[in-house]
Amino acid sequence: MTDGAVYALETRGLSREFGGFFAVNSVNFRLARNSMHAVIGPNGAGKTTLFNLLTKYLPPSAGTILHDGHDVTRLSMPAMAKRSVVRSFQISAVFAGLTVRENVELALLPEHGLAWNLLGRISRHRGVLDRADALLARFGLSEYAETMAGSLSYGRKRVLELATTLALEPKVLLLDEPMAGLGHEDIGRVTQLIREAGRGRTVLLVEHNMNVVAELADTITVMVRGEVLAEGSYAEVSSRADVMAAYTGQAHA
Amino acid sequence: MTTILGVPSAVLYGQLLLGLINGAFYAMLSLGLAVIFGMMNIVNFAHGAQYMMGAMGAWFLLNYLGIGYWWALILAPLAVGAIGIVIEMLLLRRLYKLDHLYGMLLTFGLALMVQGMFSDWFGSSGQPYSIPQALMGGSHLGFMFLPNYRAWVIAASVVICLGTWYVVERTKLGAYLRAATENPMLVQAFGIRVPRMITLTYGAGVALAALAGVLAAPIYQVSPLMGADLLIVVFAVVVIGGMGSIMGSILTGFLVGIIEGLTKAFYPEASTTVVFVVMAVVLLIRPAGLFGSKPEAAQGQPQSSLSAPAPSARTQSLIFLTVAACLAAAPIIVYPGFMMKAMIFALFACAFNLVAGYGRLVSFGHAMFLGSAGYVCGHVAKIWGLPPELAILAGTATAAVLGFVSGWLAIRRSGIYFAMVTLAFAQMVYFVALQAPFTGGEDGLQAIPRGMLFGLIDLSRPANLYTFVLAIFLGGFFLIMRLVGSPFGRVLKAISDHDARAQSLGFDTSRYKLVAFTLSAALAGLAGSTKAIVSQIASLTDVHWSMSGEVLLMTFLGGVGTLYGPLVGAFIVVAMQNYLAAFGQWVTVIHGLIFVVCVLAFRRGIVGELIEFWHRRRRAPAATQAVLRKVAVATKE
Ligand SMILES: Nc1ncnc2c1ncn2[C@@H]1O[C@H](COP(=O)(O)OP(=O)(O)OP(=O)(O)O)[C@@H](O)[C@H]1O
Ligand SMILES: [Mg+2]
Repeated sequence: MTDGAVYALETRGLSREFGGFFAVNSVNFRLARNSMHAVIGPNGAGKTTLFNLLTKYLPPSAGTILHDGHDVTRLSMPAMAKRSVVRSFQISAVFAGLTVRENVELALLPEHGLAWNLLGRISRHRGVLDRADALLARFGLSEYAETMAGSLSYGRKRVLELATTLALEPKVLLLDEPMAGLGHEDIGRVTQLIREAGRGRTVLLVEHNMNVVAELADTITVMVRGEVLAEGSYAEVSSRADVMAAYTGQAHA
Repeated sequence: MTTILGVPSAVLYGQLLLGLINGAFYAMLSLGLAVIFGMMNIVNFAHGAQYMMGAMGAWFLLNYLGIGYWWALILAPLAVGAIGIVIEMLLLRRLYKLDHLYGMLLTFGLALMVQGMFSDWFGSSGQPYSIPQALMGGSHLGFMFLPNYRAWVIAASVVICLGTWYVVERTKLGAYLRAATENPMLVQAFGIRVPRMITLTYGAGVALAALAGVLAAPIYQVSPLMGADLLIVVFAVVVIGGMGSIMGSILTGFLVGIIEGLTKAFYPEASTTVVFVVMAVVLLIRPAGLFGSKPEAAQGQPQSSLSAPAPSARTQSLIFLTVAACLAAAPIIVYPGFMMKAMIFALFACAFNLVAGYGRLVSFGHAMFLGSAGYVCGHVAKIWGLPPELAILAGTATAAVLGFVSGWLAIRRSGIYFAMVTLAFAQMVYFVALQAPFTGGEDGLQAIPRGMLFGLIDLSRPANLYTFVLAIFLGGFFLIMRLVGSPFGRVLKAISDHDARAQSLGFDTSRYKLVAFTLSAALAGLAGSTKAIVSQIASLTDVHWSMSGEVLLMTFLGGVGTLYGPLVGAFIVVAMQNYLAAFGQWVTVIHGLIFVVCVLAFRRGIVGELIEFWHRRRRAPAATQAVLRKVAVATKE
């Protein structure tokens, strides 16, 4: 962990209530810069809700969120993306009506100054096309470039979502269960991709697959019932009895 | 004579009473809508028609069978409710897994069919229905005279509303109903037959509308269109209150009625528009509605989207040039008047498609842009005497501003609510057009001069006019084609697929929607302005909700979300109008039928189905080979 007081993301007393039920309950959470940080916890622990709060998909009921030391509690979701904090969704989120290539190109538009281009054609912009080609190749999607994203297999959708997210070169990357629904071969490959992506950026991931967490994460936060139960390295966290207890009630692979 | 704030107190109390009566009907109708929506996730656009059927039923029973009011109060709702049950079992049942908009389109089609049939049979003028003997007369309350029938309507509606509320919120049956909306599988597991419960709920909601219709018969004139305009106000009420709560619907209904009554007393000019103003204010400060706490229900999978990538730029230019050549040559064999009308409507439909097809923002109020632009264009050309290019520019600009303002408010809601909000705004524009001094009221603006384009080209010459319309259509179409193919169009499509994901990638999605909506409004305004110059009239038909329905029809029939679908749809619909004009009201019935068929069997529209067919045929051999390869691998193992 870095010693500096400024974190990539920091929450203070962050809470979110759904009709009297606190899905996230005064959480103080710190995401150190350039770390690979995992949030684990049983189903319904509030991990996705924490993500939703951090990326402004949901407004918090109480508390503050800091990004690089700046208060970002009231910003919008696109504003967070413009601050280079980008997330993926637990339920795979690709643009089903666009082709695989079009999905990736979409993410490249803003940095090429094309986000508000009303009359031009993307095919005229070599920069975008080349970057899209490179990304597709890196993620093994080249042969599906012209396939409609909606008709990809589930595993490929996840890979495409990752490719689209990384196309933005985010400084802070939030991945909600990137391995969910993937087969064995895919898990190895995606783990590798995430590890590569983690170089030089901050990654926060929610994951139920403990092998992946052990392999990737340098810090682990355990959430239970909306609260942080424990935090530390894999060895520290996995040796704690209360963490084991929280999990034994819930069967997980 | 006593006055309150300058208004005679008798007038004030009279208007308040009238407001309360109107409010009673708003409450009963929005209540039925809320019950149906809560249970089936369908916005019942046929609600107004079913209300009308109740009133008509009472009239029919009295005049043909001699059965009076009290029996009608029972028989008409039962009969109309039974029809509702049949509709649910035959049609609506097929839509539950689809986007809510399809339910709205289907019931809109049903409403058109019912209204068309009744208009044909009954004529569109109203007929009186007399107050039953027992409720004649009234009593002097000292400060005002209260007719007995009105007192009865208020009392009856309060009992009906509270009764419905009690059943849904306080009884075991209601508990099952509510549980079934949350988790149908679970309730089914308890041995309750959910499908039958849904059917009966729809029947009950429809019967409620018919009951309101019978109550209304002695107050308002009985006519085939009595439900249509009322329903639009009820939609505004629903947007104001939010459909989440039964009690909310009831309170909002009465509240809106009273506000309307007060406005009629103090500022009668605004009495028809005040509901929509209230709606705009609520959208501004509490977008979810006064009583709306539930987040908007998740939309089902829209199934209209094509599974084929767009054709290459070369192919696209080729198709465009072919179409342009055909349109240019058409007057040789087709009557030019028809061609011009069709091209103008095609531009209107293409503009609509820009938001409905590519942005999946289905507006039910696009007529406001067509019509208002026509009025402004006509006014500028006729009264100010400016040349046609400036008149068209003024009309287009007006539509763009109107699009910006209404879009800014409407995009706070999505899906069905967006449809209802746009419909309500369009109705407000309609009332303004009806009352404003410069629109010519019922007559409209007539004898608008065509003038000299750029001071050079005489548009009163047929060949010039045709070329002019062709140029406007092709220009507008080309612009839309470029917009759709541009980075902006890509973002728009992505937003309609997955708004949150687009936001998470940094796109400010509401701004994209607003720009798209404004552009669409401007292009619809261009069509409306051109229409005014060509037809030389601007009239109320172009701002009426049925025009918004027609553009929906053209677009969905041709293929929503396809470039050429709206063009094809517009030509078919305009041709139908021309050749089926002799059938009178049956054209409306046919329109309604097309909606129903499109929604049930034909959701991609003509062009969409053709594209799909073409791609499936091309893909088929490859797919077969892939399967064969898999089989070969499997047999080897
Ligand atoms: N929009 C919402 N409305 C109401 N309750 C919600 C909402 N979103 C989440 N919850 C509730 O908050 C709790 C935490 O949900 P969340 O999705 O954050 O859990 P999670 O840790 O991501 O679980 P999982 O491992 O299953 O993904 C759950 O009990 C859930 O039902
Ligand atoms: Mg989750």
